[in-house]
Amino acid sequence: MVDPALALFVFALVALALAVVFWPRRGVVAWLVRFARLTQRARIEDALKRMYDAEYAGRPCTVESLAGMLHMGRARVMGLVARLEAVGLVRTVEDRLALTDVGRGEALRVLRSHRMWERYLADRTGVPPIEWHEEAEEREHTLSPEAVEQLDSAMGHPRYDPHGDPIPTADGELPPHAGVALSALVPGQSASVVHLEDEPAEVYQQLVEMGLAPGAQIELLEATPGRIRFAADGEEHAIEPVAAMNVTVVLPREAAESRGPFETLKTLDPGESAAVVGIAPACQGPQRRRLLDLGLVPGTVVTAELRGALRDPVAYRVRGALIALRREQADWVRVDRRLAAEVH
Amino acid sequence: MTGTAAAPCAGCSAHRASRLVQLGVQLDRWDYLVALAGNPNTGKSTVFNALTGLRQHTGNWPGKTVARAEGGFTLEDKRVKLIDLPGTYSLQAGSADEEVARDFVLFGQPDVTVVVVDATRLERNLNLVLQILEITDRVVVCLNLMDEARRHGIGIDVMRLEQQLGVPVVPTVARSGDGIAELLDAIHGVASGAVETSPYRMESHPAEVEAAVQALVQPIAQAYPELPNARWVALRLLNADERVETAVRSGDIGALAEGVFEASALLEADSATGGEAQVATAVDGAGDILDTASRLRWTLSANFHDRLTESLYAEAERIAQASQVRGLKRTKFDLDRTLDRLLTSRWLGFPLMLLVLAVVFWLTIAGANYPSRFLAWLLLDTVHPALKGFSAAVGVPWLLDGMLLDGVYLATAWVVSVMLPPMAIFFPLFTLLEDFGYLPRVAFNLDSLFRKAGAHGKQALTMCMGFGCNAAGVVSTRVIDSPRERLIAIITNNFSLCNGRWPTQILIASIFVGALAPAHLAGLVSASAVVAIALLGIGAMFLASWLLSRTVLAGEATTFSLELPPYRPPRILQTLYTSVIDRTLIVLWRAVIFAVPAGAAIWLVSNINVGGVSIAAHAMDWLDPFGLLIGLNGVILLAYVVAIPANEIVIPTVLMLTVLTLGATGMGEGAGVMFELDSAGTTGQLLRTGGWTLLTAVNLMLFSLLHNPCSTTIYTIYRETRSAKWTTVATLLPLLMGFTVCFLVAQVWRLAGG
Repeated sequence: MVDPALALFVFALVALALAVVFWPRRGVVAWLVRFARLTQRARIEDALKRMYDAEYAGRPCTVESLAGMLHMGRARVMGLVARLEAVGLVRTVEDRLALTDVGRGEALRVLRSHRMWERYLADRTGVPPIEWHEEAEEREHTLSPEAVEQLDSAMGHPRYDPHGDPIPTADGELPPHAGVALSALVPGQSASVVHLEDEPAEVYQQLVEMGLAPGAQIELLEATPGRIRFAADGEEHAIEPVAAMNVTVVLPREAAESRGPFETLKTLDPGESAAVVGIAPACQGPQRRRLLDLGLVPGTVVTAELRGALRDPVAYRVRGALIALRREQADWVRVDRRLAAEVH
Repeated sequence: MTGTAAAPCAGCSAHRASRLVQLGVQLDRWDYLVALAGNPNTGKSTVFNALTGLRQHTGNWPGKTVARAEGGFTLEDKRVKLIDLPGTYSLQAGSADEEVARDFVLFGQPDVTVVVVDATRLERNLNLVLQILEITDRVVVCLNLMDEARRHGIGIDVMRLEQQLGVPVVPTVARSGDGIAELLDAIHGVASGAVETSPYRMESHPAEVEAAVQALVQPIAQAYPELPNARWVALRLLNADERVETAVRSGDIGALAEGVFEASALLEADSATGGEAQVATAVDGAGDILDTASRLRWTLSANFHDRLTESLYAEAERIAQASQVRGLKRTKFDLDRTLDRLLTSRWLGFPLMLLVLAVVFWLTIAGANYPSRFLAWLLLDTVHPALKGFSAAVGVPWLLDGMLLDGVYLATAWVVSVMLPPMAIFFPLFTLLEDFGYLPRVAFNLDSLFRKAGAHGKQALTMCMGFGCNAAGVVSTRVIDSPRERLIAIITNNFSLCNGRWPTQILIASIFVGALAPAHLAGLVSASAVVAIALLGIGAMFLASWLLSRTVLAGEATTFSLELPPYRPPRILQTLYTSVIDRTLIVLWRAVIFAVPAGAAIWLVSNINVGGVSIAAHAMDWLDPFGLLIGLNGVILLAYVVAIPANEIVIPTVLMLTVLTLGATGMGEGAGVMFELDSAGTTGQLLRTGGWTLLTAVNLMLFSLLHNPCSTTIYTIYRETRSAKWTTVATLLPLLMGFTVCFLVAQVWRLAGG
């Protein structure tokens, strides 16, 4: 018979060794995987991506700023840039760095992988939002273009990543920053024009005659299936929705963010009612669809009915059905108590 | 689309036939194909049963019909095939269930789609009805649960609803069969074309979507003029629905418009070239359409999907309100609400739950005792000797006689006599609670605990089901519609001490643990030991759930929702019938199938000798050092290896193997013949002679709780998950835990007491 103390000791050693090797995120295996991924290729792709970010935002990019963004020493970045120049991905104009067309194409491909993967994590997995970006930072270097295309068609060619940033197309197209069509605004919303589609020419002509141009401030007044009425820099116009699609606008940053603070379902005590205002943007993918399908759409009056024996979850009366939601889910559903009174 | 269109279709369209095979529909002869769709928990399965007479298991659960059921019946002189689609809240194809339902309605081209609607939740159900009406003309709405609606003081103007929706609406109470005849008439009318439908279609969507839809509808209508649902196709393309895109690209979408479909079938028959030309043009137009859709998608805001759902609900609300009968008095005293308050109250919720569960378990254990004994007497003590006598008289060869009668027959008989009675009592009782609507409240009360372990509240119920039988417990996880939580429930179900393991626990506890206490306390002490093991199992379940949800399963999608259906008076006779047929017999059948080869194997390893010693003896010698290290022995480990099909035969196998190793004479029935002894005392004596100590007993109890699931359960896990990976995890995780726990207990035990 093996000495029990010895057996326990050996067991502890084995357990410790296994933990050191396989511990999620911090173990030897996780570390090796990360190290293997951080290849020269990953460095190059990261550099291209940073330079593209700078270009997209209209910031100048220098060796110093690149070194800062990549957390690398100046000397090493110099070496990296030299290599990039040698293969024709980057050119230097005085002390500014600029992408060549090939370099930009590469950068967009990496960006596409990154944002596509984020979309995938948001839509098809339960990975928490906080981890999306980091996972995508690693995956963007290892996903093959075919894999990205497969993801693309499986998820229905998503246009935006879960953060609202556009996903470049396979051809490297990217719309102007965060622009949406004028027809996507809701009455009362303000935005500024960033782009006018120049085809078909007749529509373009009509838009120009209204005095629309990038930079114009627009407020949507009324939207019906046949007509969209808006004010551009104070002047009222009306166009067909089809034409309105040719006008790309951006929402001012603070308006795009929700005008909180919102009350949420979580705050309702049994017996209290409120009308749904919307679902928090943080709730994405299958979770969001489920809440919507259950009828938690703006205007729905919800009554808290029962608290579970352990206080959580709480059952809510939603369009006739009794539906239990957990606290964190209830916290996604924004409500307004005064609206409920109006509807009643 | 007149009478001719309704002619038997199995032959007329090769396209449709192949598509149906893809969708998994058996192609025996039928004249009409009818699909049954609806929200979860609308009594869809009850309608299915009322139509087909088939006793499909129904429960008061949202999301019961996960595996699609099929049935058939005749309507006048027509044979009808009925397909039960998964219950879904929507058809946006966001989940696997929704995809199945949507694909069937669109590509299966049912002659009629019956949408079962809960009359008490009209608004929410209309959300789905409106989506189905967008896809197909041939719809009948079955307004079910009219009795509940009446009870809750909800009145629906059926005529008005019919006018609004443009399709037949039939009020029914499927449980009692009211309205089923009218439903059949309506199905016949729509299927034969005698009843013309003009389904309500959403006329406008939110402005941004509408603009894009209009821009797309034109090219679609041009390419496929016969398409009845161009607007819907446009919407799906804007949603970038992969299946619809493929159908547009291949030109299939045009074939789905019935007129064209038959025309092209004719063309194919006449001249192959004509058919090809048509396909070619269809694909040409398709490219433009897809490009346009792709361009238009940039103009839509990221959350336009939300807006679509909003507009659907706005329409549903409008229609529901327009068809509501006003002036009806709502019942003052709401029984449901009062019951809910009581059953989920802070102070009474848990005591009531424990009371109900205790009663269920007590009834099972007390009630199963006599039939189990009777079956054992009949199958083991009476039939077995009779068979042996018969085979001896006839002169059956030794090998065949031993393998079939002592091996296969005994194993099977053992499994049946131990397994059948408790299951036949436990499952109907559980089903009654389910039918009544109490179980969702239990899940509601306990959800908070399970949430902390990363699991779903409904896992409390699948766990309880596991106390009856792990295989049935695994099947019951279908009520959990969130992928991650369902996997957790499946993998951890084995930690529920199943009814095949209780006898082992009770026997070993009374021989070894009970003996430690004074005689008058022995029963209490051994019972406590067994309960402690069961509680340990629950603890292990929580621990494993927590670990899984934070490691390997962290990335699986999760969508928690728990609907609390209204209480419904349970139907006792029907429940008895269906739960015995559906759950008990199916599980028993599976267990028997697995017990047969095990019985043969047990007998063979004990009787085939290699080098003068049986295979079993070799294996036990080989396993013994490891067994002793973890506080067990080679006999136990080998018993668990050969008795993997069913935990019921572990103890008989252990006894047989012990006699085999000891070479004891005058005990047992011979090599390979499983047996049990009449008194616990003699069993204890035999085991102690075999070298068993208190440690062996305690570790056997632990190992009986923590080891791989029986092969019936493993097979069921594979059937449910369709994944070798998760089946492996579910098999090895508890085994690993068992080895570790037994090892640690053994070492500490030896250190402490020597």
